[in-house]
Amino acid sequence: MTLNHHRASQLLSAYLDRELGPADAVAVQEHLLDCPECRRAYEELQVTKGLLGQLPVAEPPAGFWAAVRSPGLARAPGAAWPRLIFGRRLAWASAAVIMALVLAAMPLVKGTIDRLHASEIGVDLYVRQHAQAMGSEPFTDRAYLGLTTGDADLVLAGDAPPAGAAGR
Amino acid sequence: MGRPAAVVSMARPNASQAVSYTTEELARYEAIVQRYARHVYNVAYRMTGNEYDARDLSQEAFLRVYRALRRVEPDAPLESWLYRIVSNLYIDLLRKRPRGRVESIDAPVDTPRGELLREMPDPASSPEAIIEREQLDGTIQRVLGTLSPDLRMVVVLSDVEGYSYEEIAMFLHVPLGTVKSRLHRARQILQQRLGPYVEARRRGWDR
Repeated sequence: MTLNHHRASQLLSAYLDRELGPADAVAVQEHLLDCPECRRAYEELQVTKGLLGQLPVAEPPAGFWAAVRSPGLARAPGAAWPRLIFGRRLAWASAAVIMALVLAAMPLVKGTIDRLHASEIGVDLYVRQHAQAMGSEPFTDRAYLGLTTGDADLVLAGDAPPAGAAGR
Repeated sequence: MGRPAAVVSMARPNASQAVSYTTEELARYEAIVQRYARHVYNVAYRMTGNEYDARDLSQEAFLRVYRALRRVEPDAPLESWLYRIVSNLYIDLLRKRPRGRVESIDAPVDTPRGELLREMPDPASSPEAIIEREQLDGTIQRVLGTLSPDLRMVVVLSDVEGYSYEEIAMFLHVPLGTVKSRLHRARQILQQRLGPYVEARRRGWDR
């Protein structure tokens, strides 16, 4: 049996591990004799496998054996994770609630400040216009109706109506 | 039932699954620990790449064995179960944690001053530098960590622990062909990412 290059290259790991059937193993062996590229790839796989095989067996840390031997006495290792996750979620939820409250309160606070500004302007305007009117026509006792259309708009009774309302 | 008088309780007082085992059962558990714990820890360490997680995963795996001890057949091989627990616990762990960045050790590093290449010992000029075993182990472990958990598990069980394809297929409940292709893919990626080290070894053989 002959193998094409692609198929042979896919079988190199299994060949290296002696995990191929006899027919496939012979076919790969024959291909390796003819194909320098696959020979190189085979050697590289062999070296890679060798590097992993030479890794030392990891030494468990102190306390590992005691904990594994008496698992009932030790802290259940998995137990800490959900609590940690839950704690983190709780923190995020609290942050979100605080943020929502701040956002909800902002228009209220801003509205109050605007209204205060508006009332300052309103009183100023009233006093100034009243003083001017009294100055120019001291005998006319014109009453101001502090008719507010908005917080800051005082309309003077008896004044000429605004240009837009003239036609009515 | 002829249960011996000596019944030892090893459960936490407030544990929901309080278990009291006989001395025989505890001896059986001890034998399981003796037989498997080192391998389970090693696989967990090679999967997670750090002591803390490896310890947690293997302790959790043995806690499950301990709780189910009465349902475990005496002398039944437990590798399959244990490695599957470790594998599943590790995948759970990854889901709960933000993903680390995966990168090739020979990929250029982006810096404000442009791309830089990591300094790698030149295999031809200083083989001694490469044979620094500890450094090499660290590098291999780091590169192992760049594999997907599926590929990593197969290559660890095969090349680190030395199990056969059939055993690995049984442990992980995957077809034999999947083991074969995952292992080949894993080795190809490792070989590519460990390029200079692999090349140094290969040239060493030629000499």
